[in-house]
Amino acid sequence: MSGRRLRDWAFWGLCGLAMLGSAAPAVSVLVSVVHQAAPVLDWSLLTRRSNAGGIENAVLGTLWLLLGVLVLAGSIGIGAGVYLAELATGRVARVLRFGSEVLAGMPSIVIGYIGYVTMVVGLHWGYSYLAGVIALSVLVLPYIVKTTEVALRQVPSALREGAVGLGMAHRQVIWRILLPPAAPAVVSGVVVALAISTGELAPLLFTVGFTDSNPSLAPLHQQVPYLTSVTFTDLSLPGARAHATAAAAGAASLAILVLLILLGRALSRRSRLATAQMTL
Amino acid sequence: MPEPPGGPAREPDRVANPAFEIADLAVSYGPRVALRGVHLTVRRHEVTALIGPSGCGKTTFLRCLNRMNDLVPGARVSGRVDFEGEPIYAPTARPIEIRRRVGMVFQRPNPFPKSIYDNVAIAPRLAGLRRGLNELVEESLTRAALWEEVKDKLRESAFSLSGGQQQRLCIARAIAVRPEVLLMDEPASALDPVATYAIEELIGQLKRDYTIVIVTHNMQQAARISDRTAFFTVEGTDTERAGVLVEVGPTAKIFANPSERRKEDSISGRFG
Repeated sequence: MSGRRLRDWAFWGLCGLAMLGSAAPAVSVLVSVVHQAAPVLDWSLLTRRSNAGGIENAVLGTLWLLLGVLVLAGSIGIGAGVYLAELATGRVARVLRFGSEVLAGMPSIVIGYIGYVTMVVGLHWGYSYLAGVIALSVLVLPYIVKTTEVALRQVPSALREGAVGLGMAHRQVIWRILLPPAAPAVVSGVVVALAISTGELAPLLFTVGFTDSNPSLAPLHQQVPYLTSVTFTDLSLPGARAHATAAAAGAASLAILVLLILLGRALSRRSRLATAQMTL
Repeated sequence: MPEPPGGPAREPDRVANPAFEIADLAVSYGPRVALRGVHLTVRRHEVTALIGPSGCGKTTFLRCLNRMNDLVPGARVSGRVDFEGEPIYAPTARPIEIRRRVGMVFQRPNPFPKSIYDNVAIAPRLAGLRRGLNELVEESLTRAALWEEVKDKLRESAFSLSGGQQQRLCIARAIAVRPEVLLMDEPASALDPVATYAIEELIGQLKRDYTIVIVTHNMQQAARISDRTAFFTVEGTDTERAGVLVEVGPTAKIFANPSERRKEDSISGRFG
């Protein structure tokens, strides 16, 4: 075998190893979670609440929280991203971007604690849905802002010029011309934000509490159950059954994650098809 | 030495009701002066060609006529640009309104990532037009000499078209807003000779209905398609280079009888 071919093989071999190295943890987590959850894994899990060894209330609570984050962080994050990419100039933009980066680096437990001090105690909201949604939104906002801004900046400037040259108003240029091709990236930013929200425990620990009943629609003064809390609590309980339930809650989080990713792909497919042939 | 305003670049023969009347126009980007001292009259229903070496400010000049330079951070425009007698750089002027009346076609075809139909229909629709969109799309595509080629695939992506077809689509898109003027920035420079010929033919037809100002770096093209030619060049030393208008007049006259300045430029290999 020639030296060149040998180096070629070595290169691809290393690439393969690296791929394996990054995929293996994900696969092993998946397998071990499902394996540990196996003893309790059946559909009744989804119809019993946490006080009866199920996760119905936690699944509903997590989805309910995600919806809140989608609305709050989604709208504010995309709006701020558009503002940074299209309207902010000079110092204002620099200050906002700096703020967003600081926020991105803030430990989630700190966000949870600040949420506790300001909202749960300060505003007398008690452990509540709104406090949790706001804490999670603060946590994931930087991702949405950043991906929206970057996505808009990557739209070829020729499209912007073409639109402006036709006498479109700035608002129309943003909505009709710049956002559609940026949509796949924006959607994936929102999906990442929701995925992070699904797996977070720290911001919720101090803000929403937990309850064995299904989540109420009241935004204030009512505690909300969620999946990561079940995992966290049941793991610290004695007994194989509790541990299996903890694993089942983890598996449910993973399932939500996968669903989110699939949903994001389906949503962004249309605009991706439309922009695939862009050659500008 | 910069010529004083009203020097050789100013035309002696003034016309009544020109499309554009430009006086003492200067443009700078930050500290860099791109263009200065331009006096020019653009007549209605004529093709005015802007020619000159690269960096002479001809594109910058073109983009002053519909305030596209507003998009460039740090761009500063001084002097006077009157469109149909109204100063378009006055504080009360409305750039969006101006751009609807003064359409633009760019150097590279830049259709939107939408269907052929939507590319033409989007601007009139956003301007509030609801009825007669189909007719407007057909009329615009016909005027752009593209209708026959696309009438059976209006719902297909604009990117399914060839480069030359895309450029004609961009012309149709500009026409659909019913402008009075079309600004074209080297509209054929990214196209092959056949597509270039099609665009030149089209410009010949369009000038019946529109005033056209076209930037080209191709002297032969300017000679073929334009009624009047404005010749720009770069003036000044390295640190203070700026584009200036050297000469303007009927194309036939300009090409038959080039002035001393332009001969110098041509001989020194800066242009032509």
